[in-house]
Amino acid sequence: MASTAQNTLEPLRAAGDSKAKDEDMEEELEYSPFYGIEKGAVLQEARCFNDSHVDPRRCQQVITKLLYLLTQGESFTKSEASEVFFSVTKLFQHKDVHLRRMVYLVIKEIIPSSDEVIIITSSLMKDMNSKNDLYRANAIRVLCRIIDSQMLLQIERYLKQAVVDKSAVVASAVLAGAIHLASASGEVIKRWSNEVQEAITSRHPMVQFQAVALMHALRANDRLAVSKLVTQLTRSNVRSPMAQCLLVRYVAQVIAESQPGVGNETRPFYDFLESCLRNKSEVVIFEAARAICNMRDVTTRELTPAVTVLQLFLSSSKPVLRFAAVRTLNKVAMSHPMAVTSCNIDMESLIADPNRSIATLAITTLLKTGNESSIDRLLKQIGGFMSEIADEFKVVVVEAIKALCLKFPQKYRGLMNFLSNVLREDGGFEYKKAIVDAILVLIRDIPEAKEMGLAQLCEFIEDCEFTFLSVQILHLLGDEGPRTKEPARYIRYIYNRVILENATVRAAALSSLARFGAHCPELRERILILIRRAQFDHDDEVRDRATLYLYQLEKAPQGPESVDPQWRIPARGLEAALQQYLASPDTEQPFDLSTIPEAVAASPAKPKAKPQGLAAAVAAGTSAPGAPETLSGEYADMLKAVPQLAALGPVFKTCPALQLTEEETEYKVVCVRHILEGHLVFQFNCTNTVREQVLEHVSVAMDLDDLEAFSEELSLPLRVMPGQEEGAGQTYVVLARPPGSLAYGSFLATLRFRVKEIDPTTGEAEEEGYEDEYQLESVEVSPADYIKPAFTPNFRAAWEALPEDSEMMDDYGIGQRDSLQDAVEAVGRILGMQACEGTDAVPPNARSHTLLLSGTVVGDVQVLVRLSFGIDAQRNVAMKLAVRSESSDVSEAIHAIIQEA
Amino acid sequence: MSGWWQSLAEWLKSLFFNKEMELSLIGLQNAGKTSLVNVLATGNTTDTIPTVGFNMRKVTKGGVTMRVWDLGGQTRFRSMWERYCRGVQAIVYVVDSADLDSLDAAKEELHALLSKPSLAGIPLLVLGNKNDLPEALSANELITRLDLKAITDRETAVYSMSCRTQANLDVVIKWLSARSK
Repeated sequence: MASTAQNTLEPLRAAGDSKAKDEDMEEELEYSPFYGIEKGAVLQEARCFNDSHVDPRRCQQVITKLLYLLTQGESFTKSEASEVFFSVTKLFQHKDVHLRRMVYLVIKEIIPSSDEVIIITSSLMKDMNSKNDLYRANAIRVLCRIIDSQMLLQIERYLKQAVVDKSAVVASAVLAGAIHLASASGEVIKRWSNEVQEAITSRHPMVQFQAVALMHALRANDRLAVSKLVTQLTRSNVRSPMAQCLLVRYVAQVIAESQPGVGNETRPFYDFLESCLRNKSEVVIFEAARAICNMRDVTTRELTPAVTVLQLFLSSSKPVLRFAAVRTLNKVAMSHPMAVTSCNIDMESLIADPNRSIATLAITTLLKTGNESSIDRLLKQIGGFMSEIADEFKVVVVEAIKALCLKFPQKYRGLMNFLSNVLREDGGFEYKKAIVDAILVLIRDIPEAKEMGLAQLCEFIEDCEFTFLSVQILHLLGDEGPRTKEPARYIRYIYNRVILENATVRAAALSSLARFGAHCPELRERILILIRRAQFDHDDEVRDRATLYLYQLEKAPQGPESVDPQWRIPARGLEAALQQYLASPDTEQPFDLSTIPEAVAASPAKPKAKPQGLAAAVAAGTSAPGAPETLSGEYADMLKAVPQLAALGPVFKTCPALQLTEEETEYKVVCVRHILEGHLVFQFNCTNTVREQVLEHVSVAMDLDDLEAFSEELSLPLRVMPGQEEGAGQTYVVLARPPGSLAYGSFLATLRFRVKEIDPTTGEAEEEGYEDEYQLESVEVSPADYIKPAFTPNFRAAWEALPEDSEMMDDYGIGQRDSLQDAVEAVGRILGMQACEGTDAVPPNARSHTLLLSGTVVGDVQVLVRLSFGIDAQRNVAMKLAVRSESSDVSEAIHAIIQEA
Repeated sequence: MSGWWQSLAEWLKSLFFNKEMELSLIGLQNAGKTSLVNVLATGNTTDTIPTVGFNMRKVTKGGVTMRVWDLGGQTRFRSMWERYCRGVQAIVYVVDSADLDSLDAAKEELHALLSKPSLAGIPLLVLGNKNDLPEALSANELITRLDLKAITDRETAVYSMSCRTQANLDVVIKWLSARSK
C-alpha cells in the first residue's frame, strides 16, 4: 500500500518541484504533497466519482485530498457533504481493494446525516460478513461510527461475534468501535463482557489494549467496579505494553481515589507499579514511574525506585525519554526536592542538551533541588544559557529563581545580581514583567534586599521600553524610596524620567518625586525646583500634577503631607457612589464626597438588598474571605471617618466579624473588634429587620464589672437603626486598656434603644416611643486577637537576635489527633501567627515535626514561636512550646493562650 | 489459472462489444425492482427481501453491459433516488400494476422526480409489473392513471410485463439496449 500511496501522490510532487524551480531554484525547499489543496477545487474533482468509468487511482487521490481537508478542520456544508457522500457511495461497488478502503475512510470522516446514512448501511452490513478481513474490519469501524442505538440492536449479534474473531484486525476494529459506542449505548455493549474478557487474553497487543480500554470504559462511572477490574487485570497476565500502560493509568486512578494509606501500611497496588518499573518496555517503565511520582502524599521510600529509573532515562540516547524523565522529575522536585537531588549530576549535564526544552526543565529542576552551596555554580551555568532560549522558557527560569531566593534569603545578593543582569538583556514584555515581579517580591519579603533591588530597578527604568513597567517601578520608588537611608540617590533616576519619557511615565515620575518631597524635608527645596520645571510640560496631565504638587508642598493648609493623602475613600465605594450619582436625575447638585462613608455595611445575609456606597464595598469584602487585607483596609477607612475614633491612632489589627444575634431575629448585630495600641474599639453593625418599628438612639452597653483592666472611654450611639434596604448602621464602644497590655475576657453586651411604632395607616412613626433593650451574645476578646501574623524570612537569625532570657519553654499534651498536620493546623489557628519556612506542611507519615511561627503583638513587639510536635502510636500528640519575644509579658501571654485553648 | 483466462476472455470481449450503459431502477416498494434485476441477470426469479439502500448489479445482455442501480423503494429512500438517477442513460420506473391503491402515490413520486432539473431529458421507461395477476392494469390504463401524457420533455415508453412469467421481458431488454452508447 505504501508504494501505491507514493504513486498517487506523484503528480503532486511533480507540481511542487516545478514550482520550486520557478522560485529561485531552491532545490532543497520541499513542498508538502498537500501543498495548495483547496476545497472548491477538490469538490469539483470529486465529480469523477460519478463517471461511468471510474479511475480507481484518481478517485483514491481525490479521496485523500478530501480526507486531508477534513482533518485540517475544513468544514463542509450540509449540501457539500451529502454531495460527496452520495457520489462516494457509487464507488462502493468497485472491485479495487485500495479504493474501497479509502471509501470506508471518507464515509467515516464525513459522517453523513442519519437520514442519508441508511442508503449505505445494508452495503456495509454485507461487507461486515464478507470473506475479506479488510472489508469486514473497515465496515465495522464505519458502522460503529454512523449507526444509532436502534440499528445497533439489529447488528449487535454480528458485532459481538466479531469481538472474538480470529483476525486481530477485525477484533480490534469492533473493540475500538465499541469504545465509541459505550458512551451512548453502554447497556448493549455490557452484554458482550464475556467476549471482551476473552479478547483481553488475546495474544495480539492491539486487541488486548483495546479490550482493556473497553472494559474500563464500560465501568468508568463505577469506582468499585473499576477497582475490581484493576485487581483482576493486575493479577492476570497483560503482556501488551500499551495495555500495560493503560492499566498503570487505571491503577493510578484507583490509588488516587482510594483512602490514603494508614500509617506504614503499604499502598494497594504499589507493588504492581513497582514491578512495572522492571518491565522490558520503556514506555511502561515511564508510565509506572510517573504514576508513582504523581501519587498523593507519596513518601520518599516509595519514590526512590521511580526516581532511580528516571535517572537512568536521563542519560538515555533518546531525546523523548530524556524529556519525559526530566519533566517528571521537575514535578517531583516541587514536592520532594530531596528525593531528586540524587539526579543532580545527570541533570547538570543536561543543561548543555541540544534540546532546549530538556535543558530548561533540567535547570528549573536543579534550581528547585539545589542547596545553598551549589547556587553560585548553577547561576554561572544558567547565565550562558539564558540567551539561547525563548522568552517563555526564560520566564520559567525567572520564576524558579524567585522561588529559590525566597527559600535561601541569605543568597539574595547573587540571585538579585543575576536577575538584574538578565533584566538588562533583550526580551519581550512578559519576560521583563516576570523579572520585575520577581524583584518586587524579593524587595517585599527580604528587607536586606530592598536597597539593592531598588537600585537595580532604577537602573532598569533608565532604559525601559515598557510604559507599564516604568510606571509600576516609579510608584514603588515613591512608596519605598523616601524611607531608605539615602533617598537623594533616587531623585536623579526619577527626574530623568520626567525629562526623557512619554507623558504617562512623566506623570508617574512626578507623583513619585512629590512623595519624596513630602516625606524628606531636607530634599523638599530641591524637589520643588524640579517640579517647577515640569510646569511647562506640553502634556496637560503632567502640568496639572506639577501645579497640584507645588500647591500641596508649599501652600496647602495640611502641609506637605497632603501629597500623600491620609484621607482615603475606598475606591470601590467611591466608584459605586459616583455611578449612583451619575444615574440619578439631578446632576445639578454637586457630588458630595462626605456621603460616601455614611452609607454603611449591608448585612451579608441579605445579598438581594442592593448595597450602596461603601456598604457595597464592605459587603463585597465580607463575602470574600480570601481578601482579609482589603477587609481591614475598608474598616480602617470607616474608623477614620469618625473623628473621635480617628483620634485614637492607627488600627493594629481588625478581627473577623462576630455575629451577635441569631439569624432572622428582629435586630441583626455584627461585632467587629479593632485592636489599637491602647484601646479596643468594638464596632457594632446593626440592622433593623422589623418594618413596623423605628429604633432610635441605639447603643450597646458592655458589662465591665469583672474586668478591671478595661475602662469604657467612649460610646458613640447610632441615631436611627437603618432598615434592611439601607444596610447596617454603626454604633461604637471604645474601651481603654493600659498600652501594651494583652488583657482578655468575655464581655456581656446589651443593645439599648428607643422604639417607636409605625402607624400602619399613615406610615408615620408615633411621637413618643419607649425604651427597650435586647440581650446580645457576649463578645470574646482573646490574647490571640492581639497578635497578627508577620513574615520572617530568616527564622533562625531572627530567633538568635531576640534576647535569650525572654525564652519561655513548656510542654503540653494536646490529646488525640488524627494526624500531626491536624495538630499543627489547630495550634496555628489558635495562635493566629504566620508559619515560616513552609513548616506548616507536615510531611506525610512524619512522627515528629517542628513548626516555626512568627508574629507581631500589639505595640509592634516581635514574637517568635518554635513548636515541636510528636505523635505516638495511640495518636496522642505532645507539644513543646518555646517562645522568644522582646518582652517576657508577651511570652507569658503566648503560653496563656495555649493553656486556655 | 482458469480465472485468469476467463478475465482475459472477458476483457477481449469487452473490446469488441464495447457497449455499456448505466440505468437506475426505481419505483415504490414491492413493485418488483429487485426481482427484475434478478430476472435480467440470472433469467429466473427468486424471493427477495426489501432492499435497504441500494444494490448495484452488472448485467450483460446481448453485447451490452448494463450497470443497474437498484434502489430501495420505501419512503425514506425516495428522496435519494434523484442522486442515483443523475447521468444515467435511462430511468426505469417499476409500478405494481395490480396494486391499484398505490398508483396515486406512484404517480406523485414519478412526477416529483421528473421535475428535477438535473434529470432533464433522461429517457424514461415505465414498467407495469405483475401483469400475470387478474386485476392488473393494461399499458394504456397505466398511461391514464399515471398521467404519462403530461411527460413531454423526454423519450418515454410504457410496457406491461411480468417478472414471474417473463412476459414482455424481451421487449424491455430491446428498449434498454437501444439506449446504450
